[in-house]
Amino acid sequence: MSNIELTDLTKHYRQGKNLVRALDGVSLQIRSGEFVSVVGRSGSGKTTLLDLLGLLLRPTDGTVQVDDMDTARLRDGKRADLRGRRIGFIFQEYNLLPTLNVVENVMLPLRYAKSNVKDGRGRAVQLLDLVGLSDRVRHRPNQLSGGEQQRVAIARALVNRPALVLGDEPTGAVDTQTSEELLALMRLLNREEGVTFVIVTHDLELAAQTDRMIRLRDGRVVGDDAVDRAQSPALAS
Amino acid sequence: MIEILRNLARRKLRSALTISGIVIGIFALTTMGAMAAHFNQLLDSGVKYYGSNIQVGAPDQQRTALLPFSKMDAIRSVQGVEAVFPTYQLPLKPGTGFSFGGAPEAIVNRIPEQTARSQPKTTTAQGNDLSADGRGEVALGTTLANEFKKSVGDTIDLPVRPADAPRDFVNHPFKVVGILSGTGTAPDGYAYVGNADARMLLADTLPPAIRNTVDLSQIAPGFTVYGKPGSSLTQLDEIANRINQPVPGVKATKPSVPVDGFKQFVAIFTTITTGAGVIALIIGGLSVINTMIMAVSERVREIGLKKAVGAHSSDVVREYLMEAALIGLIGGVVGYLLGVGLTILINAAGRASNLELFLITPALTALVIGFAVVLGALAGVLPAIRAARLDPVTALRTTN
Repeated sequence: MSNIELTDLTKHYRQGKNLVRALDGVSLQIRSGEFVSVVGRSGSGKTTLLDLLGLLLRPTDGTVQVDDMDTARLRDGKRADLRGRRIGFIFQEYNLLPTLNVVENVMLPLRYAKSNVKDGRGRAVQLLDLVGLSDRVRHRPNQLSGGEQQRVAIARALVNRPALVLGDEPTGAVDTQTSEELLALMRLLNREEGVTFVIVTHDLELAAQTDRMIRLRDGRVVGDDAVDRAQSPALAS
Repeated sequence: MIEILRNLARRKLRSALTISGIVIGIFALTTMGAMAAHFNQLLDSGVKYYGSNIQVGAPDQQRTALLPFSKMDAIRSVQGVEAVFPTYQLPLKPGTGFSFGGAPEAIVNRIPEQTARSQPKTTTAQGNDLSADGRGEVALGTTLANEFKKSVGDTIDLPVRPADAPRDFVNHPFKVVGILSGTGTAPDGYAYVGNADARMLLADTLPPAIRNTVDLSQIAPGFTVYGKPGSSLTQLDEIANRINQPVPGVKATKPSVPVDGFKQFVAIFTTITTGAGVIALIIGGLSVINTMIMAVSERVREIGLKKAVGAHSSDVVREYLMEAALIGLIGGVVGYLLGVGLTILINAAGRASNLELFLITPALTALVIGFAVVLGALAGVLPAIRAARLDPVTALRTTN
């Protein structure tokens, strides 16, 4: 999964008698290895875009092409396989399984994916080391702080060596300092693992530290710019 | 598997209550099944015994009459009859009637040529079989040997004196020459003696007026008739009909009559077992369904996450079915062990009075545990399908 191309992507919901145009003709290209943020107000369509990119939703119209393959035409099983092997997810609420310990949580995607990761446990431990949790391997999620839990979630997102990691407000539930640490970590993994990151956030300071910022409003792209980090206050600080 | 166990441990009380539902059902199934297995074994023995020969006695209106041996010659001449033997069966403990635990203990004559033909086969586990013309010898069934704590070489007085024995009660000492292998059926409660001794014991039961006027060496209460080895029930029925036509003063009972009676009994016990199974199904199944539906409701986000990281709907179904099956397995094993414990206790308490009611067989064990697992899994189908159908997007953003 090196390149993703969204063409005239539309997602409409029916809410009672009203038609909600969550996304309304979005066309984008995301290249391999990019570090992208998607910003906008609540209801702008950020999360819907992320769900479509993550193959969790099917579009009402338009296409999500991955390496020239139209994913909307794939059956549910194929889409699940593609998610398991090629896409990692980071959620605002971490979504760690309380019955699994840290390393088991990181290894969860390996259970389902027909992955070519040979030494799954070794890979999970290596990632936990990378995110600074090598001493928390056997802890349960409820024994960790919010920031630590999100680090586990980041390690989980990367365990299958995905090409794309999607972050849904990944720093939304942590304090500022932890937020910056997590962002730095994602940036590091983006560089070292060559993984494409697409992060949905309403935090403009965080978005300013990515390479490219896509602005959504009412389901439409209203801005798509490379970030000039030299002018970013966050970087300047 | 570890995750499933931890999930069960998350709601300890609920899991325990659910498993208790299965335990109760399986406990009932085990005990009822063990009772049915015991009776089926006894009845199977009856089917084998009565299905292998024809019992001949006095006609219906002369129930207490004794048959002269001359009738044996007449019966031998009937087409299809291969062998005829006199039958003596006397109560081991006079005054003992039908035992709920099985056939009453009895003193029975044992003839080597007949033993070769009779079903079920009884073999000697310790000591020897009766000698050809020996007197005062007895071969004890295993239940009797245990009940009276007798070994080869010991002496036992037969019949056994009951507590309320009349003054003129008579019994005789017999030397235990052999202990028979256990069959789990009626012969375990038999004391086998030779023909001459059986006649002597029969004489003791007769009023003096009869005892002193008839030649007891030439009479018997009944005969056992055999056709060719391997004769079918229908063929034996036909032989019984043929005996009744030319031989007056006897009544040959068609073997299908007692066999059908035994089969009816088997059917009744099978119905009881099935009834216990249905109770298990209702109690256990509903509690598993309830628990699993609640588990799915509580774990909506987890299900969403699993789907997001690549789980197929079939993976989710499998996990929830395994969890439900594990509930069934745990409940099944606990219920089974409790059931086995109870049957052992009751059998031990009843052994002294030859009142063993239960029999745990490998087939029953496999059936009960398998039933519990299948029950759990079946009860998990609906919740598992509900879980698999969850939309990952909605599930991931559910707050619970």
